[in-house]
Amino acid sequence: MILTQQLVLGLLVGGLYGLAAAGLSLTFGVLRILNVAHGELLMLGGYAAFWLFALWGIDPFLSLLGIGPAMFILGLVLYWALFQFVVRAHEELRIKNSLLIGFGLTLVLHTLAIHFWTADERAVTTAYAGAVIRVGTLAIPLVRLTSLVLAFAVLTALQLFLARARWGRAIRATAEDWEAAALMGIPVGKTYLLAFALGTALAGIAGGLVSVSYSISPSIGLEWTLKALIVVVLAGLGSLFGCFAGGILLGLAEATSVVFLGGPYREVIGLLLFLIILVVRPQGLFGGRA
Amino acid sequence: MKLLLGGVLLAAGFAVVPFFTARNDLLNLGVQIFLAVSLAQSWNLLGGYGGQINLGHAAFFGLGALATRILWVDGVPLFFALGAGAVVATAFGVLIGGPAFRLRGAYFAIGTLALAEILRITVGNLMPEISTIPTADLASYSLVPRYYLGLALAIVCVVLVAIVIRSRVGLGIQAVREDEAAAEASGVGALRHKLLALALSTALVGLTGGVYAYYHVSYYPQHAFSPGWTFDAVLISFIGGVGTLHGPILGALFYVILKEFLALRLVELHLLIFGVLFILVVLFLPGGLVEAWSRARRLIGRRG
Amino acid sequence: MLEVDDLEVSYGALPALQRVNLRVGRGEIVALVGPNGAGKSTLLKTIAGLMTPRGGSIRWEGKRLDVEPPEHIVECGVALVPEGRRLFARMTVRENLELGAFTQRAQKERREQMERVYILFPRLREREDQLAGSLSGGEQQMLALGRALMGLPRLLLLDEPSMGLAPRVVESIFAILAELHRDGMSLLVVEQSVHAVLTLAQRAYLLEGGKIVGEGEGQTMLKDDHIRAAYLGPLARGTA
Repeated sequence: MILTQQLVLGLLVGGLYGLAAAGLSLTFGVLRILNVAHGELLMLGGYAAFWLFALWGIDPFLSLLGIGPAMFILGLVLYWALFQFVVRAHEELRIKNSLLIGFGLTLVLHTLAIHFWTADERAVTTAYAGAVIRVGTLAIPLVRLTSLVLAFAVLTALQLFLARARWGRAIRATAEDWEAAALMGIPVGKTYLLAFALGTALAGIAGGLVSVSYSISPSIGLEWTLKALIVVVLAGLGSLFGCFAGGILLGLAEATSVVFLGGPYREVIGLLLFLIILVVRPQGLFGGRA
Repeated sequence: MKLLLGGVLLAAGFAVVPFFTARNDLLNLGVQIFLAVSLAQSWNLLGGYGGQINLGHAAFFGLGALATRILWVDGVPLFFALGAGAVVATAFGVLIGGPAFRLRGAYFAIGTLALAEILRITVGNLMPEISTIPTADLASYSLVPRYYLGLALAIVCVVLVAIVIRSRVGLGIQAVREDEAAAEASGVGALRHKLLALALSTALVGLTGGVYAYYHVSYYPQHAFSPGWTFDAVLISFIGGVGTLHGPILGALFYVILKEFLALRLVELHLLIFGVLFILVVLFLPGGLVEAWSRARRLIGRRG
Repeated sequence: MLEVDDLEVSYGALPALQRVNLRVGRGEIVALVGPNGAGKSTLLKTIAGLMTPRGGSIRWEGKRLDVEPPEHIVECGVALVPEGRRLFARMTVRENLELGAFTQRAQKERREQMERVYILFPRLREREDQLAGSLSGGEQQMLALGRALMGLPRLLLLDEPSMGLAPRVVESIFAILAELHRDGMSLLVVEQSVHAVLTLAQRAYLLEGGKIVGEGEGQTMLKDDHIRAAYLGPLARGTA
């Protein structure tokens, strides 16, 4: 049945939506900033995976081991160069300034990407790219399934870090009440730095998975930023697995709309959902805070 | 006073250009500048003076363009077509303004962005074909009336914003930007003033879209909804000097001229430069070119 | 020894503290009382590093604190139990305590100190895995206190520890403060519940409108007419 097949595909892409959203949720939740260049960072990760494969034949799933840390370092640099100035203001101004800075960063990264890599779509096509697992009449692309599993694994690892590790707890505490966290001896600035770098790394990893499961081009930046925003608003803040579930929800909603309204309106359903949730229930479906 | 004089001189200067040259490329440059000024000034009213970052500005530009184009191509006199464009844009703006302003700062910005994208995709799907002026009118197409219409639009935008800002409503709008709670407490209805700013902002950019539709021989309807227009408005406003009257004018001149200059060698790189400039402005020089200019003057004044 | 000299703190253009001078000796309990809005919380927050003074200095055991960020101040042995407790409501009792021992110095003795805190507050051990937000008022205050103790402080700053608590609970909290004091802890306590704190404290300061207007021994201050009139209320003045 077409619907079931579409739903399965929607589920598979939903995991990536969730991963992309998790990075945004982390920086928004901890630093209270909205980095609208998040999608651009995802794009960078995607291109990294593409070029590592195109130039040196490195398997894209393997290259994630390198992309993660590399994007982490990029996150450190971006925070140091730009966003540390944004967090000095109080919350209302922080969000506004981060929007603007993110906006400028989007333009810069987008233009650089077009300049260096052209506007062409790229995809990583490995030897096993066409492999499909058949369940009855359903065809499940192996690559996308692997991406889903990896996305889930990364989120689980992050969740463990936040729950058990000293710095993970510090991040959670800072997200809840940064002044109280400071009183514990937690260096808030360093915590912000760590959270932002982690968010960037998540974006990069998501991008790598996108390049092997779908395709990338300089223009996916805005698209994925919006996807991430939609999921963050859907899921609410404070829960990584909420992001994952929200991402899957979005994927399923898109799949349903594709079947009934056709492909061209796929993006619209997510954006409409986004607006409705914003107006009706801004704290999201599973969230704690608005 | 000096600013007023400068503005009048600038306008007069632009007004006489067609008498000295018939070069199409110069006239086109002029129209680009006028559109940029209007685009930015209309955004600046809500974003700069009102403090509400509207990332869906392109939606209203596109709606104005769409309405005007459809009516005008169908034979409706230009004046009414332009008016209809502004009305459609404003109606839409006020309609979504109510619920949109319930959202806090960031959510308003991305909410309007989402809205603009929804419109762009929908229009792109419903009207994918290029829109062209009917061949009969093509023969009589002349740049000069479009040049003057653009100039009139730019002047109207600047003058209207100037008048509103100095009025009681304008003071209310700025008070809401500074401290919404305090404004409410002293009787300034925050929602009402935000809606007024939004209404005028969308009316002006709807008009701008209409002029754009009149100006272009052929274009894709969905292109008028592209986020690039919002980006232009935001970039120009901030680089020029957000929240000031002459900032968007300076910014527009700077932006369009630099873009033309760079287009000769490095095609898309103007966005890169402006992106970097924009970031620098937001971080270190929030008053943009206007602030840079007054700081430079003070520096020179001290030396002299 | 805590030495606050000529401290000036403002909120933007509004002065909150003016030329405040204050001392807390080694192993002393000092109370800070005053009306609402006098600046008591501001003073504690400034000592803890959450606010930067415009003038004057703060020294602890000879080291300048007012130029340090909050995390260094905790390392130096000064901990604040803030007004309203400010627990991490969505984390468990255990996690809150462990966070209290974030600094390098405290990490080393984490397990031992947690034991000591549990002995001091057995109820916390019972509720170890409960979310901090689900505890009762008194238990929350105990957790806030325990959390601060995890940082191995030598000077404990307390901002309104009795707020919102039943009198019996307040008694037990103050009993614990007395016990900490006996073990050598220095304490600076800000309180609305003037009677309880002035009985406990060795010395007290009266802060009004951002300025220190009175200083003396705890018991003496209790009998001071000014304080009686302002804080012990109409009963003390004989009006109803």
